[in-house]
Amino acid sequence: MKLFDRLLAIDRRIIFLLVAIAVTLPLFSKTILHIEISPMVKGVYDAVNNLPPGSKVLVTFDYDPASAPELQPMALSFFRHCFSKDLKVIIMGLWPQGPIQANIALEDVFRIPEIKAKNLKYGEDYVNLGYMAGNEVVIQRMGSDIQATFPVDYSGNKTSELPLMKGIKNFDNIDFVYNLSAGYPGTMEWVQFAVDRFHAKLGAGNTAVQAPGMYPYIPRQLVGVLGGMKGGAEYEIIDKHPARAVSYMLSQGVSHAVVVFFIIIGNLAFFATRGKRKTSE
Amino acid sequence: MKDKYIFRTGVLLIFLFMFTSLFLGMDTCLAQEMGEAEILEDSLAQPPAPPTNVVAKDAPNDNGHALLVTWTLSADDGVGRNNVVSYQILRSDSPEGEFEVRGLVPAGENIFSDEGAKEKEDANYFPPHKDFYYKVRARSDGIFSDSEVSAPAQAYGQWYHTGKTPVLFAVIIFSTFALVFITVARKGKELYIRPLAGIEAVDEAIGRATEMGKPILYILGLGSADMIATIASFTILSRVSKKTAEYQTPILIPCCDPIVMAVAQETVRAAYLEAGRPDDYKQENIYYLTSMQFAYVAGVNGIMIREKPATNFYLGKFYAESLLLAETGSLAGSIQISGTDEIAQIPFFVAATDYTLIGEELYAASAYLGREPVLLGTLKGQDWAKALVMIFLILGALAATFHFQWFLNLLKVQL
Amino acid sequence: MSTNLGVWIAAFLTLGIMSFLYKDNPIYKFCEAVFVGVSAGYWFVTEYFTVFLPKVWDNVETAINVLQAEGRMDWFHWSYLLGGILGVLMLLRLVPKIGWISRWPLAVIVGTTSGLWLINYLVSNAMVQVRQTIIPLYVAGNLNASIGNIIIVVGTFCGLIYFFFSKEHKGVFGGAAKVGIWFIMITFGASFGYTVMSRMSLLIARMDFLVGTWLGLLK
Repeated sequence: MKLFDRLLAIDRRIIFLLVAIAVTLPLFSKTILHIEISPMVKGVYDAVNNLPPGSKVLVTFDYDPASAPELQPMALSFFRHCFSKDLKVIIMGLWPQGPIQANIALEDVFRIPEIKAKNLKYGEDYVNLGYMAGNEVVIQRMGSDIQATFPVDYSGNKTSELPLMKGIKNFDNIDFVYNLSAGYPGTMEWVQFAVDRFHAKLGAGNTAVQAPGMYPYIPRQLVGVLGGMKGGAEYEIIDKHPARAVSYMLSQGVSHAVVVFFIIIGNLAFFATRGKRKTSE
Repeated sequence: MKDKYIFRTGVLLIFLFMFTSLFLGMDTCLAQEMGEAEILEDSLAQPPAPPTNVVAKDAPNDNGHALLVTWTLSADDGVGRNNVVSYQILRSDSPEGEFEVRGLVPAGENIFSDEGAKEKEDANYFPPHKDFYYKVRARSDGIFSDSEVSAPAQAYGQWYHTGKTPVLFAVIIFSTFALVFITVARKGKELYIRPLAGIEAVDEAIGRATEMGKPILYILGLGSADMIATIASFTILSRVSKKTAEYQTPILIPCCDPIVMAVAQETVRAAYLEAGRPDDYKQENIYYLTSMQFAYVAGVNGIMIREKPATNFYLGKFYAESLLLAETGSLAGSIQISGTDEIAQIPFFVAATDYTLIGEELYAASAYLGREPVLLGTLKGQDWAKALVMIFLILGALAATFHFQWFLNLLKVQL
Repeated sequence: MSTNLGVWIAAFLTLGIMSFLYKDNPIYKFCEAVFVGVSAGYWFVTEYFTVFLPKVWDNVETAINVLQAEGRMDWFHWSYLLGGILGVLMLLRLVPKIGWISRWPLAVIVGTTSGLWLINYLVSNAMVQVRQTIIPLYVAGNLNASIGNIIIVVGTFCGLIYFFFSKEHKGVFGGAAKVGIWFIMITFGASFGYTVMSRMSLLIARMDFLVGTWLGLLK
């Protein structure tokens, strides 16, 4: 019983330290864990894989640097997949820092030799339309006229003069929408407006916090969801290009094991000392 | 000798027979091939039977820039000569005029939606209220046959989208429930709301702060003033600040949104006035911190550690910062009452705070505490709508088990 | 070890905020104040360049140019001035005597948002979801699907019972509500686990930054 009392009274700073060690030490290891591909991630992958070359993909960056650890690897692997299949990518954001995160992902993806060799041109193979204030009203307006919603792109070029944007009127001209979301506005707004109202085909990458809330939308409103860093790792595996997310999975697994261990012994200690507490009350 | 003669004759006869058979067979095969070739040539040379019964009509439920073309499949589509590859749909603005190709569909399909743009400057502009004539061409590797020209058809927009009828009914039903109960509540009738654990603890929590001589910290969340959770929180804030005015307990309200701050100041000022203590109202206790999520959390955590409030209220829209706030409040030794409609954050509040209002309980709490007829009536209306949904669910599931799709069809919405 | 000043500043701020885990201290207070101040300033600048300038200023400037060049009123671009005026009316909250005027733009915001959300929420989050929950309770030849469907329907039904506020949770009704809260709590537990994963991911990235980018110990 004394042991259980001590376990219940354990200083939280010891737990913090153990979690920090559990997270940091595996970073030094090159071990890659086996990762199962979930149907949710496969749905997104298959939807993109089935697009013919030249298809237009709208990628929306609705997150800020605080959520970048989870969503940036997804963005990078998605771009790699799209460019390797010669898809045309249109980038935008409903969060102010979103297009900046997109540019960071583009810089990273253009360092990959096979993508670099394609010599992709801005305006022809990809464009960054930038951030637009207005939340879901922006999506609603894009359903009528994307170019009127974004008259200039992130760099100030007229959208109507960009070769890639010629013929892009609304969601009817977009073959697939991929939303990277960390909160509001995010995937739910894209489902309500782009999918239910304008019949766009939508896949999503969410932080792990949000992902369970999106499951009710699968499969009729969402083709699939990448949930957190694990979702990003699954996408990297299914695309056969393991990268950052996969490398972090060992740390993820070990830290989860530590948390589960403390949950178990905490609950054991709680139930073991419950009788004693009842007696003292 | 005779045997050799018979043998040689026999061999000769056999060879003769073999050659004859071969020749006849070839002849037959050739004839067959020739026959098939003749037939093939025959069918290749012959165009497929034309489609019939071409009808063009206005596309339903649109803005008036599309026509729907239907036809009866060619007699050689999948049957007969079976040589139809595709159908081309052609359009002209007069029956004798030049027809232009508007689309292509594969064999087996007998419907096409001819759509265009609504802007006059657009190259694909589709003028409404103008006669168009259609014909359908059955194609087969370079040869084709055209149908008769259809009767003229005009595109026009609809005022009412029939695919949204279920939504109309849902809005009418829900609004009726809400309006009826608001009327009933306004007439003074007592509307029952079941007790909520978090609400019953509010008075106790405020009393605790008064006894300890410590302030109350009220967090309205990260939502904007138009969000339902924030609006519900304002109602509860009104009740809480009225109590703090009566007990003369300081209340601190750091805000994440300037408009929320403005409304919170207004709410608290009104509550202090109602409690008869307008002079005790301190506007500097309700202030704007920052709009950035984690910067806000860092600031509030600092306040909790330094001010050590006795009671923390987390009522509104919360995101990733919920556990950070609740854990720090727990560290500071505060009693904590939380409530949010963000499903992902409720587990943290349940784990780290003393009382949690789960999802819609937050709205119910605001109705319960505020006792305004509009809030009470709306809550009751929601309850009746929920009851209807539950009935639908059970009956629909039972019907679906026996393969009746009626309930599914009732809820089918085309937006 | 990195020689980039920005990396060192970021590392200092990271460790400063993390020091709160040990206990409150002046370094944490300093980092907190820097974070709050910089974020408020950043937010102001972002709002100015992404909302005020393109939405109000540029449109009004276009309208004025059209008026000067062509002598006609470009009502489309002038209409954006209305939004600007409503924004200014919000600021009148700072003047106590006429602060009540700020209720009008607030009413516009609340009313517009309600109208925008009413249909979309009703369809996407209610009608479509109810339709997707109308599933057969028995699927011939597929026991797993049958059990799964029953669990979904029972869970949804009992969850709705829990959130029914017009009747006290007693008797059979109370029993169903209890089943509902069990379903809800199990869901919350799963969501909690997912969220812990999310937090760990953020911590992993931060540790990678400290150990890899800052200290250069990872290759």
